Amino acid sequence: MHDTMTKTEPTDSTNWRAWYWLVLGALAAEVGFFAYLTHFFA
Amino acid sequence: MVLGGTLLFIVGYGTWRTRTAGRTLDGYLLGGRQASWWGIGLSIIATQASAITFLSTPGQAYADGMRFIQFYFGLPVAMVLIAIFAVPIFHRLQVFTAYEYLEGRFDRRTRTLAAVLFLVQRGLSNGLSLYAPALVLSALLGWDISLTVWLIGGLMIAYTVTGGSSAVAVTQQFQVGVIFTGMVVAGYLLVHYLPAGVGFSEAMQVAGHQGKLNLVDFSFDFKDRYNFWSGMTGGLFLALSYFGTDQSQVQRYLAGRSQRESRLGLLMNGLVKVPMQFGILLIGVLLFVFYQFNPAPLTFNRPLLNQVAASPTYAPQLQKLQADQATLSVAQRTATQQLARAYTSHNPEQIAAAQTHRQAVAAAALGLQARAQALFKAAAPTAEAKDTDYVFITFVLHYLPHGLVGLLLAVVLSAAMGSAAGGLNALASTTVVDLYRPAYPRATDSRCVRVSRWATVGWGVLGIGFALFAARLENLIQAVNILGSLFYGAMLGLFMVAFFLPKIQASAAFWATVVAQATVLLLFWQTDIGYLWFNIIGCGLVVGLAWLVQRVVFATSSPRPLSPKE
Repeated sequence: MHDTMTKTEPTDSTNWRAWYWLVLGALAAEVGFFAYLTHFFA
Repeated sequence: MVLGGTLLFIVGYGTWRTRTAGRTLDGYLLGGRQASWWGIGLSIIATQASAITFLSTPGQAYADGMRFIQFYFGLPVAMVLIAIFAVPIFHRLQVFTAYEYLEGRFDRRTRTLAAVLFLVQRGLSNGLSLYAPALVLSALLGWDISLTVWLIGGLMIAYTVTGGSSAVAVTQQFQVGVIFTGMVVAGYLLVHYLPAGVGFSEAMQVAGHQGKLNLVDFSFDFKDRYNFWSGMTGGLFLALSYFGTDQSQVQRYLAGRSQRESRLGLLMNGLVKVPMQFGILLIGVLLFVFYQFNPAPLTFNRPLLNQVAASPTYAPQLQKLQADQATLSVAQRTATQQLARAYTSHNPEQIAAAQTHRQAVAAAALGLQARAQALFKAAAPTAEAKDTDYVFITFVLHYLPHGLVGLLLAVVLSAAMGSAAGGLNALASTTVVDLYRPAYPRATDSRCVRVSRWATVGWGVLGIGFALFAARLENLIQAVNILGSLFYGAMLGLFMVAFFLPKIQASAAFWATVVAQATVLLLFWQTDIGYLWFNIIGCGLVVGLAWLVQRVVFATSSPRPLSPKE
């Protein structure tokens, strides 16, 4: 069996919270735009 | 020439570029864990977006409108959740497969169960990915579909066996570029081919009037496959399962050189996927508008049409229907042009009159379609009834210039081979890492690479076998998603228990998964619940049952530590 090893990651200064909000915000904007299109062309 | 050149390039380039990848198991299965975030992102997109995406999705929008987009609403949320919870665990443990983690957390039996569930599901899905491009070539060149499946499958197996994970990743980066180019070209030409005076805006209004721009539906219906709520729940669970527990995707971000690269690759997919699917569905809607101005065949399934035309009993009825269709096409074109002109005039009365006229013609077209379907059913009871998978490719073959036909076919083929190769690579990894190595712990690295190559060949041949039955399935992309939903829910439940419920032990998790999987299959067989809900049902059942069994049956035993090194 492959022995499970642990790995030390290099220091990560990325602002992950900002990235997550960017992805979720983009989704909210897309849903809003699609809802507008659905309503407009109904 | 374009088609043949691309095929040779893919096989040749994949082989040459990754000629040293097979020296170690880590190199063969994970490309030495050196992938950057953009490489991971493109690889994730290419693995999910196979030829099926390119062929079947426009057809789905053509027939059913754009509501399929809601299926993808849960995906960006899933990307965020996986980036937060799963990536750090997988990276810290340096595992080859997602299922390897389950042995440290539970036991070998649970790991094997998860690996086997994946192998069954992915082994079948990969067969469907092979069928899609075979459909294209058989429709275009009149080749026998079985022969075509064997040809494409054989090429793909050869290239995956040689280069392993690195070959898959390298070619996928090119494939995504080609896919985006093909999409943009097809979309542009569809608008360009509309009659004078009908632009993109009028096309959208015509499509909207026919109910094709039904992007979001906030009403709740348990049996409805696509609405906002099923997308945000069932779609979310499906995406969590697919990207969090399906080795064909987990392998893509396990190859990242750091946790940061893996996370960014996943988030890139979260940003790109919904707009990309919107673009592909929009092509389907534009196809619908295009065929309001141009004669559409009674069915886009040309082999079926040829079969009925060759039947002495049914050919006369078919000819009569085709004559009616030709007359109706003229009426449809006139009515749609009137409607487009009315929209340009902004005159409410003119618009209302044109809409009424267009509605009457649409009703007549529906009646004719029903008669045609009845005829096809009588003449060829076992043939594929739906023709949505043929819509886009029929347009490409009949209306695009020769060079572009070759380019779009090359797009479809390279996408298909890249996606199926990713799946094959994951099937081989799981077979070797989760089944072979535990059974033969003394096997050397080079022996494991050799077994991986043979496993790739074995799964490839099995996929080809399943692809030969795929022609009978309702709609390819739905078939793949239904298959996924049947197996993913229980798998996700198992991983959720592993991640978030540390007090639950191996036996409770194992038996909960077995019972939940059996229940989902029974529900699929006996009820008509929309398939997306099975992701939630399977997951919920595993979590609930595992908790219950742990409390009631194994309440006295002490919990097992997560992993010696966690």
